[in-house]
Order: sequence, then C-alpha cells, then structure tokens
Amino acid sequence: MRRGLPLLLVALTLTAMSPDGATGQQPPILSGPLAKLDIKPAQIEARATPKGTLTVAMHFALDPGWLDPLEHSYAVTMQMYDYLVHDAMIKPMPHAWVSYGLAEHAEMAADFRRAAFRLRPGLRFHDGQPLTTADVKWTYENFKGAYAKVFQDKLEHVQVIDDRTIVFHFKEPFIDFMDLYNGGVSGIGWIVPRHYYEKVGRDGFKARPIGAGPYRLVSQQAGAQMVFEAFDGYWRRTPATRTIVVKGIRDPATRMAGLQTGELDLAFGMTGKLLPRLMSDRTLRWDPNFTGPWWLMFPGYSEPGSPFRDKRVRQAVSLAINRPFLVKQETQDISKPWGNWISPENRDALQGQDAPVPEYNVEKAKQLMTQAGFPDGFEVEYLPFPPYFDMGERILTDLRAIGIRGKLQSLEGPAFRAKIGQGRKGVPGHRTIVQNIDPRAGGSKSNIAVYAVCGSPASFVCEPQIEALWTKHQASLDQAERERLVKSIQRIVLDEHYFVPLYLNSFVHGIGPRVLPEGKGVGKYWDTLNAPYPWPWEVWEVKADR
Amino acid sequence: MKRYVLVRALYSVVTLWLLVTIIFGLVRLTGDPVAMKAEAGADPAYVAQLRHSWGLDQPLHRQYLGFVSRLLRGDFGHSFEKSLPVRDIYFERLPNSLKLGFAAFLFSLALGVPFGMLSALKVNSWWDSAGKMVALLGLSMPGFFVGLVLIIIFGIQLGWLPVLGKGPSAVVLGEPSTWITFWFRDWAHLVMPAFALGWYFSGAMLRITRSGMLDVLGSDYIKLVRLKGVPESVVVAKHALKNSLIPVLTFAGLNLLVMVNVAIVIEVIFNWPGVGQLLYDALSNRDFPMVQGVVLMSGLLIVVLNFTIDVLYGYVDPRIRLSR
Repeated sequence: MRRGLPLLLVALTLTAMSPDGATGQQPPILSGPLAKLDIKPAQIEARATPKGTLTVAMHFALDPGWLDPLEHSYAVTMQMYDYLVHDAMIKPMPHAWVSYGLAEHAEMAADFRRAAFRLRPGLRFHDGQPLTTADVKWTYENFKGAYAKVFQDKLEHVQVIDDRTIVFHFKEPFIDFMDLYNGGVSGIGWIVPRHYYEKVGRDGFKARPIGAGPYRLVSQQAGAQMVFEAFDGYWRRTPATRTIVVKGIRDPATRMAGLQTGELDLAFGMTGKLLPRLMSDRTLRWDPNFTGPWWLMFPGYSEPGSPFRDKRVRQAVSLAINRPFLVKQETQDISKPWGNWISPENRDALQGQDAPVPEYNVEKAKQLMTQAGFPDGFEVEYLPFPPYFDMGERILTDLRAIGIRGKLQSLEGPAFRAKIGQGRKGVPGHRTIVQNIDPRAGGSKSNIAVYAVCGSPASFVCEPQIEALWTKHQASLDQAERERLVKSIQRIVLDEHYFVPLYLNSFVHGIGPRVLPEGKGVGKYWDTLNAPYPWPWEVWEVKADR
Repeated sequence: MKRYVLVRALYSVVTLWLLVTIIFGLVRLTGDPVAMKAEAGADPAYVAQLRHSWGLDQPLHRQYLGFVSRLLRGDFGHSFEKSLPVRDIYFERLPNSLKLGFAAFLFSLALGVPFGMLSALKVNSWWDSAGKMVALLGLSMPGFFVGLVLIIIFGIQLGWLPVLGKGPSAVVLGEPSTWITFWFRDWAHLVMPAFALGWYFSGAMLRITRSGMLDVLGSDYIKLVRLKGVPESVVVAKHALKNSLIPVLTFAGLNLLVMVNVAIVIEVIFNWPGVGQLLYDALSNRDFPMVQGVVLMSGLLIVVLNFTIDVLYGYVDPRIRLSR
C-alpha cells in the first residue's frame, strides 16, 4: 500500500492519452447536467520487450476461482488476479484511487440515475477478439459476486449505444455507483469476454481464463501454481516482465527459505518471528506495506451488566496499552501507533491531529477504573485475530496492570471470521474484547457500514446518534455532506471509545535480489492506494533470466 | 474360495459406506464454510447465493443423498476453495504424491532392509549398535525436523538443492510422453523431501527386518540347512531373507499408502503439490467436498489394498479361507 504522498510514474509516462470527463475534451454521452467525477486519466507508458521471470509466493493456497471476476468475492486477494489477467473500466492505480482503465471517458448524471462510459478504441482480449460494450453489458448482467444484489436491484436497463459507448439507467439515484463499479471495490467492472465464457463455461473459464489484462494465464495447477505470460497487445504498455509464476506457499519458513535460495523473488506475509531474519539478510529487501489499523472492540458493551457499558472503562483500556512498545515487539518498530480504526489511505478517514494517537497513562487508567466502580478490575475473554496470538498476550499483559485479567481464546482463522461476520451475535456474553483489523477499500463509509451501524450483519456498535447521521448520509446526494457525516461518525466512535485503535499494521513482504530497481526503489510497487498486494503487475521489472 | 472373496468384497463395500457416512458427518461439525468465504459485512443476498451454489441450503439428508448419488457416478463435487471439480484437482495432484511416495518408499527400503539384515546377522556387534542407533533416530526425529535441517544445510547454506516444489515436469493427460518423463525429471527437487519422508519409515523398516531375520535365523529349518553344510551366504539369501521379508513387505505396502496419501507435513515444508497438502488446505478452509474426496480416495486405496491382501492370504493359506 502507498505510503505518504503519491509517487507519479513520471519517468516512464509518455503522454496522458485519455482525458477525464471534466476536461471536456471528449464529446458528451449524456444530456443534461452531470455530476463531478474525480477520475484521473490513464498513463500510457513506454513499450519495451518483456524479460525475465518473477516468482511470487502467496501465503495461502491458490484458488482458480480468483480468475473469474463474475464470482468476485469481498476478498481483496482476488484483485491481485484481476490486475494480472483482466482489466477494469475504472480502477485504482498508483497515481489515483480512480483511474481510467478500459474506459477512456465516464459520465454520471447529476441526479445519479444514469452512468455512461466510452471504451478506448482498439481494445482486444487475449484471443484477439475485440472487447466491446456487449461484453461490458454481459458482465454486468451476469455478475454474481459481492454487491451483485445492489447492482441488480438498482438497474433499470442497460443501453448499448455503439461498440464503445454504453449507458446504465438506474431505477433510483445510485450515488455510490462509481465507487462500487471501481475495480478496487467490486468485480463487476472487470470485463469478461462473453464469447469465450459462454463457450468454455464456468469451470472452463476458471481453469483457462482469458481477459484483456497485461498477462495471460498459460498454465495452472489448482491450488499450487499459476504461470502467466506477458500479453504484448495490452493497451497501456507492454509488461516489463515476461513471465510471472505465482505459487501458493502457506508455511512462512518455506517462503523465507525460497527467498534465501533465490527460488522466490517476492514473498507475501513475512511478518512475525521471521521478520528479524528477513530484515537482517543483506541479500534481501522488504517493504513495510502498511495495510490498516488494528483495533479493539467490546461486543455487548451496551448491555446491562457489561463493565464496558461505562465509557470510563473503555477509555481505561485505551490508556493502559503501551502502543510504542507493542509496535516494537510485534513489528520491529516498522509500524506506527495509530489513532483511528480506519485506514488512512481512505481520503475521508480521520487522521493526524483529528485522530491523535491515544496516550499511555496507566495511573489515569486505574483512576478511571476506580471511578467506574472496578478498583479491583474484572475478568474478560480476549479474542485475538488469528494467528496474532502473541500480540493478544502482550495486550493482556498491559491490561493486567489495571486489573483487567483476560483469558485468551485462540481460534483458527475460519472460526474467528465466522464469529466476526455475525457481529455482536457471534460473540455472546458481554465481557469479551475482540482484536480486529480490516483494511477494506471503498472509503471510510464501507468500514462504518460494516462495523458501526445497526443494520449490518457484522455490527458491533449500534447507537442512535450514529444511526441518525448514517441515515442522513444514505439519503444525501451531496458528496461534501456525505464526507462530513462520515467524519462525524468516526469522531463519535473514537470519542466514546467504542473502538480502541492500536497501531497501523505493516504486512511486510520480502523481495529478492533479482527484482529491479536495486536498493530501496522497489517500494514504488506498493504505491497503489488500498492495495495490500503490489499491483499493477505490468510495471514489475526483474533481471533477465540466465 | 468364491464365497470367501464375496464376503471380503462385502466387508469392503460396508467399510467404504461407513467411511462415506462418517466423513460426510464429521466435516459438517467443523463449522460453516460460507461464513469464512463471505467476510464480515457481506450482503445477506451474497451469503445466501453462496450457500445455495454450494448446496448447503439443502436439508442434511438431501445433501447426503446427493453426495452419495454423485459419488456413485464418480463425481466428488466442486471444491469450495479451489472452485473446480474435486476429481480433476485430486488426479492432477496424485502423480506428484505417487512420485514422492515411491521415492521415499525406495529410500526407506534401501536404508531399512540392508541395515536390518546386517544388524540381525551381526547381532550384538558394532554393526548392530549402529543399526539400532539409526532405527532410534529414524523413529524419534520427526520428518519436519529432518526436512528443515536439510533445507538449511543443502538448500540455503550449500545451495545444492532446490527447496520449493516438484520442478516444472508434470503429467499431462493428453500427452502420454509426459507420463514416463515425469518420473525421471527434476530429481533434484525430489531428494530432500523423499529423504525427510522416508527417514521415519526406514527406521521402522530396519527394526522389522532385524526382528524378522532374527526370528527366522533362530528357527529349526535354518539350523537344519546349516547342519547340511549349505554355505552361509546361501542360507541367508535363499532361506532366511525370503521368509523374513513377508512381514516387511506387508508393512512396506501400508507404509507406501501412508506416504502417498498423508505426507502432509513434508509436503507443506517443501511446498510439494501433493495430495497431503491438498487435504491440509481443505481442512483449514472447511472445503467439505475436497476433504471428502481426498479422504475417500485414500480410504478407497486402503480398502482395495486390504481386500487384495485378504484374497491373497486366502489363496496361499487354505486355513484362513476355511476358518471364515
């Protein structure tokens, strides 16, 4: 993920070929007033001959289903494969959260009832067939993945004007359409070739997909390995690396060994006990790759009998945690203590002076516990995010200093996710602290919609004050007002200590010596906002194969 | 004999049916795979659609009947986690497991049998002590430890052997030439995992060979052969070894099955794309169809092997078939 200000790919950029809708250089598609869109032009880059092989290790088994955008889940992992094989109408790129992709122009009616796109000329799939608006329409109508119901419920009809121009008509204002259609949030904007999908079927497509992206799949062994070759007909640039091999390697020690022997060039998820080894190896490099903040939640805090019903107790928990020490122990000081539970890569997330890092003050915490009627503390269950059990133990050690004695419940990943997915209902009782992280894309509103409003299946906070603001947000067609409301909700969550932020997580990745450029320049590959994985892949460069 | 074979076949079918039923029930006790896939805050409509497409919205008895009827057609269903037919994925992985299993099996035989013989022939000598030490190390040093030590020495420090996977060769269904070449290529990838996997079994093999040889060497017919003046090499090779190998071969057959089907730890450490790793992934991700498929295929192999052994026993030893 991006750190600090955007790094524009100025050196390689020849020209910004595609103006955005606001410039007026493109002939309009829709009649009537238009909403202002913040979509940046695509950057067309130099064409060169692809060379070398980049071998990448995922930290879990590979799923051929990731190659099918029509069944795109909520998991951000799928986007790594979207960016390899497919291409989206609009998508996040290093220079912008929303950049033009297959579309070179987009419009949204001011009443948010119509959205229009114009495709760039000459687009082709890997089999040479042209990519047209018929494919865009078919993808929309056959999409079955995350948010599919929203897209289908809102749609009135799709109007194909010609091979390059398409208009979506909605039954009611669909203000979130451009946010959700963005390839960084859902799969519906990643265009699938209708002719091929209908020919090979669902399974056939997952086994041998084709798309319009920078790489085409040449072979795969389900779960174990996928091999991709550069597609020289890709519109934005010729990919720099000829072959990308992705392996599913669950064991972190094996990934580390692969980096050390040179069999891997990039390994994801090198956190925990392996991190010092990675950092001390002079032949290897690493990227901090900040994802999102860790935070604590108090399920059932609002119920009678819960010690966390008292705001002072929740605040005492926050005051008792030594965040700098936690960061040092957990991440070798790479991460930063943080004052919000929403990733700072969301434009509308409170950060800096608006969300300062909570202080560490055990004495004050003890006073608050006494004032709240718990001078001797109490016992809690503690649910850490798997497999970060050591971190849970460290936090419990801090809490013990103010009398909160915790029993750590170590669940495996699926069991934990199943509990969290049910929100308050998934964590019975009212003396439990849950440690969570969720670097989801789609702006701060998506985090709020999941965790902090009553109607969400995963709700952990249900407060009338927040509900009123959220209802207003959902009804508003004014972007500025929506942003203000989202910030107000964050303010309440933080001030009331419903959630206690800890630190900004670093999901460190190891990089081998064959990856170019040499030295620390490799950090540029993580410049795309809200991207835990380093896309776009066409810019990755490695030394030529020996 | 015909009745005996029929009864054994019936036992095998009942065993398989029990296995099918137990594994179907057990995987469903492990939790809800949809909750795992859907992620926090997923739209209920998406969750419902996922549940429907995986057939988990059906009552349990319907799921069971559907599962059994598909099985009878050779269809293990679709993997939840890998989105493709379980059968295709399993048979893609099986050659890799067979390759690793056979290599480890040969290694365990090559180390275990000669050392076991030597220990028995030179009992209470230096050779015997060395053999016992090898057996002890084999049985007490877990495969993952041996694997990690090998990786550090031969992979990272010396850089002689690759540490990841099986290499580029693969069995391709439409290309018969690959069915042969697959076994003889990328041996460098095979050395360490085969050693680490075969190491434990070689210790066990050594002990069984040694005790079998000692039993046979102390028997009356060996004494008689020796009294007749037959050279010691002939006594050992022709009369003793042949008889002492019967329990060794039975044990070796079962070992081979275990090495092929459940070499989970070794496959994970060396990222070997075999059936064991497939099972590990499936268990971790509540991938019901994949767990069912892998366990049933492993069970099927064991049942078929046992059936074959039972039939052979009945054939060579009339007492067995008449007593049942």
